[in-house]
Amino acid sequence: MIEHLAASRCPQCRLVAAPPSRWCPRHPVEMTPTSVMGGGEVVSFTTLLSPPEGFRSPLHIALVDLVGGARLVCHGDKTQGLKIGSWVAIEAVGNIYYFSHLGALDRARLFWRRAGRAGERMSAIAQSLAKRAWKGRLRGES
Amino acid sequence: MTFGDPPGNLWAAMRDVWIAGADMTRVGRLQDPLQDLMAVATHGALQSADRELPDSIVVATMNPEEFLGDGNFASNVATHMGFANVPVVRVETATSSGAAAFYAGFAQIASGLADTVVVVGGEKMTHLPTPKVSELIGRSLDPYERSYGTTMPAFAALVTRALMARGVTEREIAQVAVKNHANGARNPLAHFREEITPEMVLGSRMVADPLRLFHCCPISDGAAAIVLTAERTTVRVAGVGQGTDALALRHRESLTSFRATQAAASAAFAMAGFGPERVDVAEIHDAFAPFELISLEDIGLFPPGKAGSATLDGETALGGRLPINPSGGLKARGHPLAATGLAQMVECFWQLTGSVPRRQVQCSVALAQSIGGPGTNNWVTILESR
Repeated sequence: MIEHLAASRCPQCRLVAAPPSRWCPRHPVEMTPTSVMGGGEVVSFTTLLSPPEGFRSPLHIALVDLVGGARLVCHGDKTQGLKIGSWVAIEAVGNIYYFSHLGALDRARLFWRRAGRAGERMSAIAQSLAKRAWKGRLRGES
Repeated sequence: MTFGDPPGNLWAAMRDVWIAGADMTRVGRLQDPLQDLMAVATHGALQSADRELPDSIVVATMNPEEFLGDGNFASNVATHMGFANVPVVRVETATSSGAAAFYAGFAQIASGLADTVVVVGGEKMTHLPTPKVSELIGRSLDPYERSYGTTMPAFAALVTRALMARGVTEREIAQVAVKNHANGARNPLAHFREEITPEMVLGSRMVADPLRLFHCCPISDGAAAIVLTAERTTVRVAGVGQGTDALALRHRESLTSFRATQAAASAAFAMAGFGPERVDVAEIHDAFAPFELISLEDIGLFPPGKAGSATLDGETALGGRLPINPSGGLKARGHPLAATGLAQMVECFWQLTGSVPRRQVQCSVALAQSIGGPGTNNWVTILESR
């Protein structure tokens, strides 16, 4: 199941930004709201072993080109086996994107690695679980 | 490479700008306060220029507010060095602040607003723990992307992996660091003065896969100053160019070349009235070793895809066809942020005036390239001896 992500499009150069930007970075015009499919190709990735204050090592970061045109930065559970050109699914939790499909335990571990207030981590885990349960119910009805 | 068109007859109205003197401190882990380092560089540059009182001062520091807790830094440093009554401004474009300050000083003289300007840049940060410094420098990245924990090394790692996917090899990238350390060993002011081997680079600890510790420049303190003048000297500023790009990585057109460097080079060569083929020596922003290869191609000093093999063949070493970073570059000379753009030009000036024993290059045109933030505010400056 691939979800759709909120995005914005420049009416002049058609640049798609995710998450949405108010103005196009290349033109002084307001972007129009759109959405893009949360799946795409890995452009580059890294595992940061000396993360900045507030994050824990190892921190996996990927740059992904979505099918719908937007490029975005996202977190992942691991970069092992990942290649430039690999196809991944993107999940948005709040304003943060995560690549690949993961089991509930893997996701909990992943969200936990983003340091920050314990409440924020718990809320990210809860949101992700709730979303998955909601999708499951939709699938069950159809 | 095509060069930009001169903007009408604007450049024809400019006065020539010359360099009268230059100086810099040693780079490394220094105990002196930043204000002292900048005063020493400034007084040294004025002395070498045989000048006492500038018409104006331009100060470059990237982030004294957070590294030191000091604000109003232009007045702070001018007062400290005994120039409380000289007009002073501060210029900031992240890690290229020194080059941007040079441009501001150049513009004051070219426009006739001043006859003698001191441009001084400096930074002090080794007193803070590395994760803190990394986080503070990382604030020059896009705020949203920073919420993923991206830092400058993370940005550089994403660029490096994409570069390697295009055929640039580990050996080619490692050779940049090896060559720059060999040059730094000949520079008494350099942060690192030890030679290293490719095996040491490839065996150093991983910082952000595939980027290793020895691919990265150190955290350094230091200051550098240049005296600009309208009076003819032996070194003229032939061209200055600025280039910019979107702050967010996700809005870049290319990962393996920097639009901002290409635009800066195009503007600088257009002002100079000649192309990259006349450049004899260059100081390049190798904050991360692969950036030197990218920059050499962005500026047009090497054809696309050729900088890596040329580096491996020794073309960019001292004694090679086009020596790059004779000072040791950011990797070995060190990278005291806002001092760096000016330290590059101090090296270019010293090279053009034949004043660097053990690493002297026969040259009449020298180029300096400085990268601001994640390649968002870049500068190319061309100096020539006349």
